Amino acid sequence: MIDVFAQALADGVASGALYGLIALGLSLQFGVMKIINFAHGSLLMVAMYISLWASRYLGAHSLVAVPLVAVVMFVLGFAIQRWLLEDIYRKEATREPMGILIFTTGLWIFLDNLFLVIAGPDYQVIKGDWIGRTTSVGGLMFGYPQVAGFVFSTLTTVALVVFLRHTRLGRNIRAAGQDREAASVLGIDSARVYQVSFAIGLAVLGIAGALLAPMYPVNPFVGDIFGLRAFVIVVLGGIGSIGGAFWGGILVGVIESVGAQLLPATFSEILIFGIFLAVLYFRPTGLFGLEKE
Amino acid sequence: MTPLARGGAVGAALVAAMVVPLATPSPYALSIVTLTLLYGYLALSWNIIGGIGGQLSLGHAAYFGIGGYASTLLFVQFGVSPWFGMFAGAALAALAAALIGYPCFRLRGAYFALATLAAAMILKIAVENSHGLLGGPRGLEVTLLRDAPLQFQHTRKEFYYAVVVVMLTIALSINYLLLRSRLGFHLVAIRNDQDAALALGIDITRSKLAAAMLSAALTAAGGTFYAQFVMFISPDKVLSANLSVQIAVMCIVGGRGTVFGPLLGALLLLPAEEIARRALGGIVGADMMLYGLLLMIVMRREPRGVQRILRDLWNRTGAPRSVNAG
Repeated sequence: MIDVFAQALADGVASGALYGLIALGLSLQFGVMKIINFAHGSLLMVAMYISLWASRYLGAHSLVAVPLVAVVMFVLGFAIQRWLLEDIYRKEATREPMGILIFTTGLWIFLDNLFLVIAGPDYQVIKGDWIGRTTSVGGLMFGYPQVAGFVFSTLTTVALVVFLRHTRLGRNIRAAGQDREAASVLGIDSARVYQVSFAIGLAVLGIAGALLAPMYPVNPFVGDIFGLRAFVIVVLGGIGSIGGAFWGGILVGVIESVGAQLLPATFSEILIFGIFLAVLYFRPTGLFGLEKE
Repeated sequence: MTPLARGGAVGAALVAAMVVPLATPSPYALSIVTLTLLYGYLALSWNIIGGIGGQLSLGHAAYFGIGGYASTLLFVQFGVSPWFGMFAGAALAALAAALIGYPCFRLRGAYFALATLAAAMILKIAVENSHGLLGGPRGLEVTLLRDAPLQFQHTRKEFYYAVVVVMLTIALSINYLLLRSRLGFHLVAIRNDQDAALALGIDITRSKLAAAMLSAALTAAGGTFYAQFVMFISPDKVLSANLSVQIAVMCIVGGRGTVFGPLLGALLLLPAEEIARRALGGIVGADMMLYGLLLMIVMRREPRGVQRILRDLWNRTGAPRSVNAG
């Protein structure tokens, strides 16, 4: 019985790191631009399909596909911010960003159903020798994709933190997020910073999608549940906080995985959202309080 | 024309327009018209919190479902007339809206949209798993009594058409009066500039809560109507995320925050959806793709909706006007 729980705990941590990575881009975009991108889950779904197609039609190993998907998503993110969001954002920079919310909701519905039309409703899986293999660590069993997901999620999170703290561009991004006017006085081109931040957010999401694809069957609506979970994680971790997103992801992963041992699977979903609403009631700045808004 | 006279003229034209569908010989056509007007009613209900209040709700299907399930359950289990069940559902939905809204309205930005989305999803999962009382994923059937108007059912479609016209008129009146009331002014002030509204001493949380509860109650009454009209409800029909989105899209495309915009949105979108579905030969997903696309186009081209475009056209070509109203 202890073993079962230890395994569930370890599984939760492993998938939680990946959930945190999914939420990371969302949190970055919010932290810098104060916008919520409702199409986040759908863009994850797009990344998963790109990964699926790369392995199916190009014969790419799904880990080789990770940087490829990241690059495609980076370009997509840059284009979305530059040609779709920028005008709306500029118009309502000081108000409640209702326009961005509605626009990205439209993008979400559009993308989900576009993929329903072009890819069909069926669940599709990536095939590969390594996907079914397992390894055991200290009596616990892990699938190869699970290990890859945990390792590369953690590395990506660390890399992003280092990038934001120690590079010039990273510091510009943080400066623009803290005070847009002061940043522009110092010669930072905020429009360009937003394009790059949005693009980085999607590149990170692309990595997450490519890591998730070998573990989870892809269908046009796969992003909805992960997207909603990403929002939950961002709120749990404190909106705009990178470290918070990572720990929030682990918390949600553990709740889901341990909860599934105790409750029917659908109830762990209810539990996660219940916690989400409870955090909104009692600690809207997030559970960890790592960074202030 | 004064705004009041103009409103009256438009109202009279609408009433006249509502008599016309009764002349159609086909019950199918009348059903389509009835459903279109129901969506118009729902878009107007959404408008109270989403348009006038400026808070994006992506979970109105939850209130719609609460209304449908409450009245149906009371009717099937306890024989309570759905006319009363309608009010029970409305009260329950208002309570749910208060529970979801209260934590979010103290915060800014997207919290409310997220919480409504999450709450609707929780409710759908919960109902799908309640096999005993609520029938699980298969749903509930309304006991068939045939011609029993006191039990909110009738074999003739004209009955439902009349009811939906009355409901629509009520929703239009509420929106009209709200925009001219103290609460309406407060909501518009909050939507335009929350800090300024706060400085003027407006109780922001309370105003938003009142709007959310009123909106939820009206939506729930629509859910009861739907249950009685179709005589059957199931989670994938009345609690789906697509429904929440459709309601919001109609209001936004038509013109959020106005009286006739939401109705206009429904009158434009439902027939458009029907035509698109026929033209594309029933490709699954094409209709919702259209909704997403329209939402994006409206937000980029004219965030105030089709209503605004028509008004600008009218102002340009119609009677010369010294000042451009609002």
